[in-house]
Amino acid sequence: MTDQPEPLRLDFHLLDRQIVDVDGRMVGNVDDVELDVDRGGTPRVVALLVGQAVLGRRIGGLVGRWLEASARRLSPDPDPAPIRIPYDLVMSVGSEIELRVKASALGEPPLETWLRKHFVDRIPGADHAGE
Amino acid sequence: MKKLFAVTLGILTAIGGFVDIGDIVANSQTGARFGMRLAWVVVLGVGGICVYAEMCGRVAAVAHRGVFDLVRERLGPRIALVNLLGSYAVTMLTLTAEIGGVALAVELATSVNYLLWVPIAAFVIWVVLWRVKFSTLERVFGLAGLALVIFVIAVFRLHPQWSVLGHEATSFGPSDGEEWATYGFFAVALFAAAMTPYEVFFFSSGGVEERWTRKDLTLSRANVFVGFPLGGLLSLAIMACASLVYLPVGAEVDTLGQAALPTAIAAGKLGLALVILGFFAATFGAALETGLSAGYTVAQYFGWQWGKYVPPRRAARFHTVIIVSILIGVAVLLTTVDPIQVTEYSLVFSAVVLPLTYLPILVVANDREYLGDQANSKVTNVLGLAYLVVILVVAVAAVPLMIVTGVGG
Repeated sequence: MTDQPEPLRLDFHLLDRQIVDVDGRMVGNVDDVELDVDRGGTPRVVALLVGQAVLGRRIGGLVGRWLEASARRLSPDPDPAPIRIPYDLVMSVGSEIELRVKASALGEPPLETWLRKHFVDRIPGADHAGE
Repeated sequence: MKKLFAVTLGILTAIGGFVDIGDIVANSQTGARFGMRLAWVVVLGVGGICVYAEMCGRVAAVAHRGVFDLVRERLGPRIALVNLLGSYAVTMLTLTAEIGGVALAVELATSVNYLLWVPIAAFVIWVVLWRVKFSTLERVFGLAGLALVIFVIAVFRLHPQWSVLGHEATSFGPSDGEEWATYGFFAVALFAAAMTPYEVFFFSSGGVEERWTRKDLTLSRANVFVGFPLGGLLSLAIMACASLVYLPVGAEVDTLGQAALPTAIAAGKLGLALVILGFFAATFGAALETGLSAGYTVAQYFGWQWGKYVPPRRAARFHTVIIVSILIGVAVLLTTVDPIQVTEYSLVFSAVVLPLTYLPILVVANDREYLGDQANSKVTNVLGLAYLVVILVVAVAAVPLMIVTGVGG
């Protein structure tokens, strides 16, 4: 079971909130949610979506389209899928949304991977936290 | 005993870290033109940063969130994006001014043109941001910034007529021969210098970096309510020094050297050495803070991993934003634009974006779901709202005053 406020409000408790993994590492913000409606007609959150393209779609307009397009440019995939986090993996919804799993199990945003591989890792000391 | 040490160290760091290039320029220029007539704005501004930084400290300690995280949550992704563009641009401008300030301080010590120092200063700033632990970088430059206490000593050694300073400080309005618009413009600059948006981005994110919990609330409050006002006192001392030396002869302050000169007059070589060290530490420290803040705002808007508590490769996007920001700052400075002018513009545009930064803080600090029993009290809310009104007035007035006075004339 997820430890969450009742009633859970999409706009207030979920959308745009920081998601952290089981070690406290930042996964992303909730850029959108995936909903499903059960037989009784009650909507239910199925998954949290994280990704610049999804965010762009939500923002809409010129700026939103630009965000979406730039996300596509930055990804090797022509239609980049967002990181989809099944709601079962959410441990609690508070000032942060805490997951039960490690961030590495969810896949990494392409921009982070690309920048690490081609830029940050080539600078000496990239794997040291400050000392 | 250990706690007392931590609190003292925190306060000293807050004092030394309070002053940056904006405070140095705004206070020197105002002192030279208006004496202490605008001292009340510094007091007002320091009060404002205290009220709001305390809220940020609570949010960081209790909910473990940085300011920009909350901006998007409370304003929605669309308005927050506009906010991000504004805040980033202003932080960028401030970062540029601080790097220029570091280079100018080194020029004062070496007589080698500051433009040659700009790339070197920027590189060293980046290395520190890349390698050095958060608490170390905050502490070292905060403590070294205490060298600016020389301004307080200088005020005494210049043997002022205290009654004149007091009379100026208590009289409202411009001196003879100065316009109300100019008076208003410098009031805006001073207020913006005290409440520059990056300060709360840095303060709140720094609290998260240092893993504050409820136990650290005392430390946070001591930093804010003791450290910041004493830092403000340094600002007032800079103003007083400029007024004592420049006001009688009707000179204006256009360079960092002129801002430093009163301490040399009052305390000779030692005074000059200390003031250069102080300027260097203050601008270098602020360059680190603004560089980090540029990264914090962007990363927090998008939800990226940020912070110095993880190795750079774990926060690749965050560190890339910092590097790119520093490079933009260097590029701007190498156009040979005057860093002091960049500072003046950074203050005006800081004033414009103030409401975008401070309104969401007030909203979130009232949220019981986040803060529980640590949500704002009535007194804090009255103060917060009163300051928000002042902030709105300043934001609206900033650009018109800049145009009317030609950036202070």
